[in-house]
Amino acid sequence: MSGIPGALDAIPLIGLVFQLMGYLIENINPISATTVAVSVPIALAALCGVMCERSGVVNIGLEGIMLICAFVGWYASALVAGALGPEAPFPLFGATPALLIGVLAAIVAGMLVSLLHAWLSISARIDQIIGGTIINIGAAGITGYLYTLVSGQSLTGAGQFTPLGVPQEVATVPLVGWLLNAVLNQGPIGLTTIIIVIIFQIMLFRSRWGLRTRAAGEHPRAVETVGIDVIRLRYRNVVMSGALAALGGAWLSMEYGTQFQANMTNGRGFIGLAAMIVGRWSPVGAFGAALLFASATGLSLSITISPPSGDLGNVFSYIPSEFWDALPYIITIVILAGVVGRSIAPAADGQPYERESAS
Amino acid sequence: MARLPRKAIALLAVSALVAAACSSAAATASPTATPTPAATPTPAATPTPATSASASAPATAFKIGVVTDVGRVDDKNFNQYSYQGAKDAADALGASVSYLVPKDATEYASDIQQFVDQKTNVIVTVGFNLGNDTIKAAKANPDIWFVAVDVAPCVDATGAPDSTFACKGDAATLLPHLIGIQFQEDQAGYLAGMVAAAVSKTGVIGQLGGINSNPAVVRYMQGYELGAKAYKSSVTVDSGFFSTGDITKAYGDPVFGKTFSQQFISQKKVDVLFQVAGATGNGALDAACAAGIYAIGVDVDQYQSYPSADKCIVTSAEKHLASAVSQTIKAINAGTAKGGISKFNAANDGIGISAFQNTSVTLPSDLQGKLDAALAAMKAGTLTTCTAQCGTWTGK
Repeated sequence: MSGIPGALDAIPLIGLVFQLMGYLIENINPISATTVAVSVPIALAALCGVMCERSGVVNIGLEGIMLICAFVGWYASALVAGALGPEAPFPLFGATPALLIGVLAAIVAGMLVSLLHAWLSISARIDQIIGGTIINIGAAGITGYLYTLVSGQSLTGAGQFTPLGVPQEVATVPLVGWLLNAVLNQGPIGLTTIIIVIIFQIMLFRSRWGLRTRAAGEHPRAVETVGIDVIRLRYRNVVMSGALAALGGAWLSMEYGTQFQANMTNGRGFIGLAAMIVGRWSPVGAFGAALLFASATGLSLSITISPPSGDLGNVFSYIPSEFWDALPYIITIVILAGVVGRSIAPAADGQPYERESAS
Repeated sequence: MARLPRKAIALLAVSALVAAACSSAAATASPTATPTPAATPTPAATPTPATSASASAPATAFKIGVVTDVGRVDDKNFNQYSYQGAKDAADALGASVSYLVPKDATEYASDIQQFVDQKTNVIVTVGFNLGNDTIKAAKANPDIWFVAVDVAPCVDATGAPDSTFACKGDAATLLPHLIGIQFQEDQAGYLAGMVAAAVSKTGVIGQLGGINSNPAVVRYMQGYELGAKAYKSSVTVDSGFFSTGDITKAYGDPVFGKTFSQQFISQKKVDVLFQVAGATGNGALDAACAAGIYAIGVDVDQYQSYPSADKCIVTSAEKHLASAVSQTIKAINAGTAKGGISKFNAANDGIGISAFQNTSVTLPSDLQGKLDAALAAMKAGTLTTCTAQCGTWTGK
């Protein structure tokens, strides 16, 4: 361990920064491709969280909803593919009827699980953390058990969506080629995510629905006094948000991967929650945080695969790979603690709303 | 309104816990669904319904029982080929054979016990996961022969499974009726490396393993590198590992596997990728297909076991599970078998590479001849297929 301070002392900081920039520019293509791919499920989970919590419902069941949807989508598409036989995919995204039905099934499943969460937290008014935990534990158990049962059948699966693909001329455009390459080399769900982020951001801060949603999350009683049904609004938002997490699950088992795997979310829903907090409960912020976390993954993989030479390589060699996995949580704790710009949750987040007349 | 939901919530919470428990203890949920070995209609359920001699075999005949890993028996993977080997031996010996597919890890021991209760002569258990339960059963039933596929029995001084992997006890003397089938992975890797060097256009090939402290993974990779260099000395072999300690990332996360492999392919600019990493490695095959490069599978013929990557799989470095299991059972029947580790390699048809089924790959005309020559040299014991520190990763 005595080597660490010694190595750091000997390195001038400025040189190190330049070396890091050089290394990043050199490897920008693979790092950005990884970043965008890793960020998709995290961003979708985070968007689901934003929609719930902005209207005042805490949803930590994101991981479970994604897992259930990954299973339901994959299984539905495999069943349909088995029933229909091989079909020629559409020219765009390699979509087949089976895959499209799979995504629809995933969305329906996501909305149903979210409806359960909505009922638990809005009507039954239980502790919303416990409601989400029930979903997480239940999802891991149910999907694991069902997958064991299903793996006894001879399912070949329905394949996967294919990326849009980028022509070589576009990918090699100077300065922005890497960005176009990373963003456009996505399947339908990945590309939709970017569109959802933009629409959601505009809707949340520029529309009547958005104003009511934010108000219901900050001061539901005030919203109720002007004649808006807070309960219904929260129900609608929570159920709609389920579709977003569902897309994240479908992405795992049908767009990026080709089949379901027990526990395949592997913590991505929880990192999504962290992204929501770091992004200060705004869609664009959450997406940015997801990209930030994902870029840490991209950088750490890059360092593992082709370590930089010289002093920079020496510094990185002292960072264990577990540090990069922990980075999203470390950033979240730092931001929650208010060290770097405080992130404040909606005031009525997690508080069940009770009508005056009901009490 | 407020009373009823609270009870319902308690019910939900309980059912969630039950569901979670079920995934690890399915035995309690469906005890009747587990077929007893006697009730298993062997010929009907076999992957290749070629023989039915076993069903009518008399009760006093030599009996073979196979406990597979979870999944199904016709998985085109470890389960299928191990069972195939048991069936081949049964056909040759006029013995009866049946199998059990555990629903989850908690059923390994009870399924082995079912065969013990039926006075089965040889019990074959498939895969590393069943290793400890097999050792326990072998200790409790010294008269029955146990064949543990792909397991190096690690026991303490009393012959019990050693979870610390200190392996103080000598399994061969403590458990003389337990045979652990092991393979010389470096020979299979060597042949795969020759193929990789032959199909590579750029002369830069890659390989990705699960964890660098797993000797079997490392043997494959050391063989691959030597084989590639032997075919073409100018070839560059880039190696990487998915993780340094996280088992899930290393062997169970295909999404991470694909991410890692895509970045590996684009940074190292390899045009052939060999994977030694289980389900994570399947993500590597996906990544190779997505990048339009060739891939090489591992352990079994992945052209068959992982068809979604068929368009880029050239071949697979194979363990000949059926051959190894069949030979072991025949040796037991003949009375020539000994306890301990039974090593399979080229000399006893234990390893090889899969047939070239991908017609879109053009192979150099000299490849088959060189492969045959290498295999012959391995059989003769004149070809070095591993480094001096075989099984220990010393690379960067």
